[in-house]
Amino acid sequence: MEKFKNNVFVKKVGFNRVVLAGVLILMYVIFCVAIKGFAGSAHLMGTLNYVYFLGFLSLAVTFVIATGGIDFSIGPVMFCCALIAGYCFGTYKVPMAVALIICILVGLLFGMFNGYLVAYWSVPPFIVSMASMNIAKGVASLFTKTQSVSWPRVEEAGGWFRNLATANGFPVGLIIFLAVAVICAMLLNNTKVGRYILCLGSNREAVRLSGVNTKKWEMLAYVICGILVGIAAIFFVATYTTVQPNYGDQYNNEAIAGCVMGGTSMAGGLASISGTVIGVIIISLLQEGILATGMTKDIQLIITGVIVIVAVYADVVARRRKN
Amino acid sequence: MGEEILRMEEIDKSFPGVHALDHVHFNLNRGEVHALMGENGAGKSTLMKVLTGIYKKDSGKIIYEGKEVEFHTTREAQDAGIVIVHQELNMVGDLTVAQNIFIGREFTNGIKIDDKKMIDESKKLFDRLHIEINPTEKMSSLTVGKQQMCEIAKAISHNCKVIIFDEPSAALTEKEIQDLFTIIRDLRAQNLGIIYISHRMDEIKVITDRVTVMRDGTYVGTLITKDSTKDDIVKMMVGRVIYEPPKEKSMVAPGAPVVLKVEHLNAGKMVKNVSFELHKGEILGFSGLMGAGRTETARAIFGADPKQSGDIYINGKKADIKTPEDAVRHGIGYLSEDRKRYGIVVQKSITENSTMACLEEYMNGIFINKGKEKKAAEKYIEELATKTPSADQLVVNLSGGNQQKVVIAKWLVKNCDILIFDEPTRGIDVGAKNEIYKLMNQLASQGKSIIMISSEMQEILRMSDRIVIMCEGQKTGEVKIEEATQELIMDKATRNIN
Amino acid sequence: MTKKKSALGVLSNQKYIVILVVIALYIFFFAASVDFRKYTTMVTLLDYSYYYVLMAIGVSFPLITGGVDLSIGTGMVCYALVGGYLVHNVGLPVWVGMIVAILFGCVIGLLNGVLVAIMNLPPFLATLCTCMITRGLGSLLSFKNAIPWPTAKQPGGWFHSIFKITMAGNTKIPIGFLWMILLVVIMAFVLKHTKFGRYTIAIGSNKEATLLSGINVKFYHIMAYVICGLFAGLAAIPYASAIPTIQPGTGAGMELDAIGGAIVGGVSATGGSGSIEGTFFGVYVICLLKVGLPFIGLQANWQQVITGLILIGAVMIDIVKKRRAVTAAA
Repeated sequence: MEKFKNNVFVKKVGFNRVVLAGVLILMYVIFCVAIKGFAGSAHLMGTLNYVYFLGFLSLAVTFVIATGGIDFSIGPVMFCCALIAGYCFGTYKVPMAVALIICILVGLLFGMFNGYLVAYWSVPPFIVSMASMNIAKGVASLFTKTQSVSWPRVEEAGGWFRNLATANGFPVGLIIFLAVAVICAMLLNNTKVGRYILCLGSNREAVRLSGVNTKKWEMLAYVICGILVGIAAIFFVATYTTVQPNYGDQYNNEAIAGCVMGGTSMAGGLASISGTVIGVIIISLLQEGILATGMTKDIQLIITGVIVIVAVYADVVARRRKN
Repeated sequence: MGEEILRMEEIDKSFPGVHALDHVHFNLNRGEVHALMGENGAGKSTLMKVLTGIYKKDSGKIIYEGKEVEFHTTREAQDAGIVIVHQELNMVGDLTVAQNIFIGREFTNGIKIDDKKMIDESKKLFDRLHIEINPTEKMSSLTVGKQQMCEIAKAISHNCKVIIFDEPSAALTEKEIQDLFTIIRDLRAQNLGIIYISHRMDEIKVITDRVTVMRDGTYVGTLITKDSTKDDIVKMMVGRVIYEPPKEKSMVAPGAPVVLKVEHLNAGKMVKNVSFELHKGEILGFSGLMGAGRTETARAIFGADPKQSGDIYINGKKADIKTPEDAVRHGIGYLSEDRKRYGIVVQKSITENSTMACLEEYMNGIFINKGKEKKAAEKYIEELATKTPSADQLVVNLSGGNQQKVVIAKWLVKNCDILIFDEPTRGIDVGAKNEIYKLMNQLASQGKSIIMISSEMQEILRMSDRIVIMCEGQKTGEVKIEEATQELIMDKATRNIN
Repeated sequence: MTKKKSALGVLSNQKYIVILVVIALYIFFFAASVDFRKYTTMVTLLDYSYYYVLMAIGVSFPLITGGVDLSIGTGMVCYALVGGYLVHNVGLPVWVGMIVAILFGCVIGLLNGVLVAIMNLPPFLATLCTCMITRGLGSLLSFKNAIPWPTAKQPGGWFHSIFKITMAGNTKIPIGFLWMILLVVIMAFVLKHTKFGRYTIAIGSNKEATLLSGINVKFYHIMAYVICGLFAGLAAIPYASAIPTIQPGTGAGMELDAIGGAIVGGVSATGGSGSIEGTFFGVYVICLLKVGLPFIGLQANWQQVITGLILIGAVMIDIVKKRRAVTAAA
């Protein structure tokens, strides 16, 4: 075991991530063996479709958790983006490109709102999340007059955007997702924003007393989160057709699960984008597997809840041992 | 002095990376005030925490009233009659004084808490201690000194046989200290055993019967107070370490320009109309009791806390400092008294900490130039002789002294000319202390200007070119090192202005 | 000690401001809408308020310890589903369904308490997970059925009369309100005058000091969540009485109204202070908006948005107050 831990490759990638990737492969093998017909490309596509939007949500919340905060308004905000933009497209006939920009803009606005309250007013993040979750649901319902919104199919006018997820069976979305993940990793590890986000997540006061405008950088983490949530909304509607108001909560937990499984610490200061990517794929595979066995979404809610509890507890124990 | 009530033998305790207590002895008699002395980090508080069940000892024996005991919680120790008056006050701010004193053992009528009885009992306790505190007031609204008195009232209300005072006088005014001594003498007369932790030599001579000295987690020896001199005790405390010699005269060149001028600074309730000047190449000592407003003054100058009024001039030009960002831009660096909370990001590397204040100088477009910043960090590791395997080491793995050097490196990388050192040697072991002293002298001789806040009189006299003394938020004196004596400084630091 | 309070002191106390707000809101809706003035509107308002009041009383305890319980909304629906399933589908007596709902609430409360106090998980995260778990459990245990509890006229419908008595001429007397007042008095006593209440405040104010005072912090910390669970379980009963058919998968978002009520009523979002009376009135601010807004022509969704904003506003006021207190004391 020690030998494995000290292997050069393992050290470089990180022990936790190697284990996590192992878990992912093992899970896939088990599903293929245990569930009839799981091995085909249909379920792989199903998993990927889920990865697309959940992946962006998980990346989004990774930035916020790195500051030591939390945002569980992301699911409803994603729905709010999709509803408002879809309504603009369907009712006000804006071009598709504009609708997609609206998606991101709505996400950005929520990110700014959350970030401003947390960073400049020190409102506890869970309060802000709770409030903006409901504001997002309320605003979306008001905007769409409580109607569900359908996005065009690929053959309809404006349906080209669906090629962002899958074009003629080719998983474009996966490539975009991985590219964005690489950008996020560079942002987090090689730029000022990332450096300050991680440091202030670890010790906010020490960073402030180093002459850094911590409020600005903390708010920026929420803004990045908001933009990524807007992108998540685009990929959500690119794979699924109809969006209903008043939903979206269940994705919060799945996104947070993907993030904390990947080794991002709830206490802040420690984040891993590659871990988040693997974590999200595991969660997506899990949900595909559960649906394939004919079980319902309810089981998934419970399992995801337990996963988050276990992952965060593992982090709590690891940190206690370090001190 | 009565029979022995408590004996600790061969107490050993390690934390990861630190051997905090190395086979330490201690004994206490009834009706005795026994001082436990040592420099910061000598292990006094750890020993007491082992005694009262906060820490579990690795090995050794505690014999209390003739029986071997081991307490697992403070509650068990309390029930047995050993209580501690903590250095950090352990009070629940949102509860009242009476509720705090009786927390954990409230009087009840059925399930209803009998608050009236608790208030009456608190009044009786305060009468016994001859102090006036309103038991129905919220704890958070009292002054630090009064909160301390409440702690003592809480301790004696336990019907205890042993009371431990952990640096009780650090926050008290002269008058309050005299009151405290009256209380202690009274308790001694009642045949209690009292352990008194302090490093103020004068108090030790006045109030204690015996002194046990610790150094670097080891037991050094025990003396009868009245048969020993201050020098004996100091020698035992310091050991063989040779400190920088005390300054006899100011090292500042006559006519050195004023780099920082503070005029009529007011901030909160702890900084009232403070004015002073800092010259180039000077070490300006700030002396005073705990809670005199020195740290608050420093934080207000640095923009860490808001100020109500007052002007700050840097190199003769008026500087508008509202946030630490502004202060750093004007070339001020601040080393906090609480390194772990305010100085360093412990879970990050030395490199990341070193460039924290001026990351913009290490950028390649939008990307951080990691090679360049590592070089900068390595330069100061060498210059400050920081002990570490590499610049990638996480700061959490460094000792206190080396962590302090990382904070200093941060400000040197930023090239700050004015440095505020707030208790620079707190929590640093004896050997590393002198390195910090040398470093400060070296920085001053290179033309950096230093404000040094310190509660250790020896440190103030050893390092300062000039000394500003504060009391209750006001500047009460300013003396040149040539004229400074311990008595003079103490007198100004405890003067009640009104 | 003289307990004289100046008029200004009374006014600066959030508890009293909230009472004024409740009155002002009532007068506003009363003046703005004729339909709002009807007696039946008031009965409906009260019917809908009971479960919010109960949830809010419960969640005040975790909030005062400096935590939160986000599982109360989905939890309450889950308990009502499970209890209702036993009554409607299995055919057990109503009182059994009620007791099961309450006990189930306590069990989830205990789980939350263990996660927070023993396993040291952040409260919002632990209870966000149990929020999802109870939502899943509710639909699993009711086999995805929407569950109706017996109506007033059916056998077993007696439980409606706990909250509402129908008089001759179909006039309804909302006696549930009296129960609420009774519970508020009891729980206010518990918070102010029992060890449990005192330690709840102490944990929220300074956990370390409380621990060093020799108090079994873990036990009392868990108890705060158990009480919260108990009240979520209790809330399932008026919920089952007010809502004809309980749908699995609902309940998310109700915790916001309850927590919002508590915080508007002066419970500090960062712990250490609060009062049950304040919570009680705070809930009615939210409920009045909920019921009143449609009467002045605004959709119910406005209430979601407004509650969110009010919650943030109330927390901001608390933060500004604390900042001022710190500056004044420093």
